[in-house]
Amino acid sequence: MPVQVHVTSVIQKVVDDQREFEADGGTIAELLVNIERRYPGFRKQIADDDGELHRFVNIYLNDEDIRYLGGTDTALSDGDAVSILPALAGG
Amino acid sequence: MVGRGVAMAVIPRPLVDEMVAHSLEDLPNEACGVILAVDGVATAVHRVPNAAASPYRYVMDDEEQLKLQQRLDESKGEETLFAIYHSHVASEARPSQTDVNMAFWPPGDISGALMYPDAIYIVVSLAEEGAPVVQGFHIIAGDSYEACLEPVELHFE
Repeated sequence: MPVQVHVTSVIQKVVDDQREFEADGGTIAELLVNIERRYPGFRKQIADDDGELHRFVNIYLNDEDIRYLGGTDTALSDGDAVSILPALAGG
Repeated sequence: MVGRGVAMAVIPRPLVDEMVAHSLEDLPNEACGVILAVDGVATAVHRVPNAAASPYRYVMDDEEQLKLQQRLDESKGEETLFAIYHSHVASEARPSQTDVNMAFWPPGDISGALMYPDAIYIVVSLAEEGAPVVQGFHIIAGDSYEACLEPVELHFE
């Protein structure tokens, strides 16, 4: 299931300096595994040591935050667009 | 490291007034948003809802943040992120330790990479009633909270 993945500059450096690339996965979770396989170190950018996604990483499927869909179990279809964007936050 | 000297930035007065107005309207919670620039000149304040809805912290609304990012991407460099602002409802106009930590990625790790190294981090302090204070900083790589903060002299014109 090829989908278009879009990342912001801070994550770009671990995916060969690409802002956009194609990757495969039947779900968001599978997609993240496949990206890590191709770009070792990617997962560490978005998840903690236990593999849990950072609270401040936003993943969107076709502009919809996956938290409001099925989380990392959200199914992907051919041609979907996935964006990965660190949340701006502070105190 | 070679210092940048004292950085300065010009911000049109109406944009400053807009950040202060936003900060006051969102009391008792913190307000947050960004200033975009066209060809390096600050042109517009974009309010972003604070998803944390808290007097102590902010998290920019995810959908708004995506829209802003897409807008920047589509402009292909013509429009840029000039500043990231938020209010401190009862503390000084200076990024907190949390603000500094969260400017890095992975989140909270100051040995990580800066998310937006060129952006000015603006804090609107409402600590003194009737006398809001607006100050800007660059957050830079450093080994401590203090070492990560570099004041930016803001000129309101």
